[in-house]
Amino acid sequence: MRRRILNRLGGAVIQVLIVTLFAWLLFYVIARFTGASPAQRIAGKTATTAQIAQVAKLLGLDKPYWQQYLIFLGHLARGNFGFSYVQMRSVSSILWPALRVTASLVFGAAALWMLVAAPIGALGAMRPRSFGDVAGRAVSVVGMSIPVFWLAPMVSYFLAFQPTQGRLLGIPLPGRVTLFPIDGYVDLGTSPGQWAYHLVLPWVTLAIGFAAVYIRYIRTMTSEQLSEDYTRTAKAKGASTTRVLLRHVGRNLLPTVTVLLGADVAYALTGVFFVETVFNLPGIGFTGVSAIENLDYPVITAVVIVSALVAVLSNTIVDLLHVVLDPRLRRLPAK
Amino acid sequence: MSLELENVSQEMLSEAESEKPLGLRAQALRRLRRDPVSVSAFVVLVFLVLAACFGGPLAAHLTGHPPDQQYPDALSAGGQPIGIMSRTYLANGLAHNPHGSLFIFGADSLGRDLLVRVLYGARISLLVATGATALALLLGVSLGLLAGYLGGWVDAAVNRMTETAMAFPNLLLAVGIAVVVGPGLLNVVIIIACFTWYYPARIVRSSTAAAKEMTFVAAAHTMGARPRRILLVHLLPQVWGPLLVYATSIIANNIIFEASLSYLGVGVPPPTPSWGQMLSDAVTSGMYQVDLSLALVPGLALVLTMLSFNLLGDGLHDALDPGATRR
Repeated sequence: MRRRILNRLGGAVIQVLIVTLFAWLLFYVIARFTGASPAQRIAGKTATTAQIAQVAKLLGLDKPYWQQYLIFLGHLARGNFGFSYVQMRSVSSILWPALRVTASLVFGAAALWMLVAAPIGALGAMRPRSFGDVAGRAVSVVGMSIPVFWLAPMVSYFLAFQPTQGRLLGIPLPGRVTLFPIDGYVDLGTSPGQWAYHLVLPWVTLAIGFAAVYIRYIRTMTSEQLSEDYTRTAKAKGASTTRVLLRHVGRNLLPTVTVLLGADVAYALTGVFFVETVFNLPGIGFTGVSAIENLDYPVITAVVIVSALVAVLSNTIVDLLHVVLDPRLRRLPAK
Repeated sequence: MSLELENVSQEMLSEAESEKPLGLRAQALRRLRRDPVSVSAFVVLVFLVLAACFGGPLAAHLTGHPPDQQYPDALSAGGQPIGIMSRTYLANGLAHNPHGSLFIFGADSLGRDLLVRVLYGARISLLVATGATALALLLGVSLGLLAGYLGGWVDAAVNRMTETAMAFPNLLLAVGIAVVVGPGLLNVVIIIACFTWYYPARIVRSSTAAAKEMTFVAAAHTMGARPRRILLVHLLPQVWGPLLVYATSIIANNIIFEASLSYLGVGVPPPTPSWGQMLSDAVTSGMYQVDLSLALVPGLALVLTMLSFNLLGDGLHDALDPGATRR
């Protein structure tokens, strides 16, 4: 078990090195040839060659590449992501508050999509081809086909904007009401109620696409488990359907679902780009999109690296959890 | 004796002809044709391809509105879009002009015809998605075949690469690359292909590794077939089925991928109409709250396309593998 954990941690370190190398190559080496060189950007458009060279020297860009990469890694390890000349603030002071917002959004959405998908998927597997199953699968395939960057403005329009105009889904209301806030974010520490109230629509928006996929996952996996001998034995011994689903099937699916969740929490970081801009949540995605608009390279670099690191982290955590949750992995030697 | 033999073989031949079992492909096709959902999805996709090829120029010709032409008359006095099925405004900016030209889906906030643009957008969507998918399949299938057939360190290297690549949210890294290399049609195709080749590679690798152990491969080898012939003639046909299912879902994903990049402003550069760009124009300016059709038209086009690809993919999956439960 210890060897398995050490192996996994070693893999995570290699992934971190690959990501940072990729980001560094992209933003510091390739960028130099496409006119997005850091020195050129800081020195400005009117700078002379000598001035650019001076800035490059200040930034350490005249050193050999391997040294530059090590310096870059050293900065990252100390949480130093550079300085945003567009916002005139250090990148880390922009990033940390944004990460809090994004974490609220992603974890809330993950909880929501599991709550929705688990019962629908399990019921579909219990009664295949029943009305509920067919409806669940239809909802799932439609949900998978709606891109989040279209869903976000639609949810915002119909549930937040239209009620303030005196309509709900096109039906006239008695007066102008505010059902949900159109945008904005309230910190969890300030007011938990307001925090959740402001995040309901973003959670729903982000969760729909994932819920659609998870309905399928859970339906397939549950129906596989239901055809196993142990569920038949449990039923024969008189266990109720609920007990079979929760204690027997659910316990067996838990490790797999955890691993899937780890990958998808990381994957949700792309959806965050669209949800946060529509609902004006000052998270990683919002920061990233405005950085792309302003060509704020240090922030773009940081957003890409931090998201990739979050992906590595969440995949590693769920793989370690997998070992805890699946007793078979504890006994078998690592291959 | 020889006559008898001839008779027998004749009989056997005719019998074989009359009760010739259908090939796997024909069987799958028959199952697919009997599935009304797959057939309708296929019909929608045929229409989409037709719209992408001829729809844009045809609509532009019929309405007389080129896709990038801005019509100041198509905006009301307040600079707002005119909405669905409206004619252009009169010169005084107050009333509709009964003789003005018709904007079937209305005009966008710059006064461009939405119908013509959404049809031209279909062209960009399909072009980028099929181009990127073809490139990704080429890369993925070659690497997957090699990895599955050769095994050893090639297999290990390809496996490591796909595992690492799949561990990251690909859109984010793609956005990073697109920001650095700049927008452009070809760039987008290459970037998307770079982030999708590993799905087909994994499928092909596992099918090839399984098929490699079958006796017909050993037979081909004994008869002196070279590795290249074994790979292309004997092993490649074995992976078509799963690959076809994956190709439909990859095309669908790539359409979303392109739209996402364009939405973020790093995809196909304006004024070329693309669905992602049209949506982003409508949403970031907030103009969709004035005229919802600005977001509805390109959005529904995207959803309908995705839905058709997803349904067709499911149908193909069921047709090729009727025993399996649907994922």
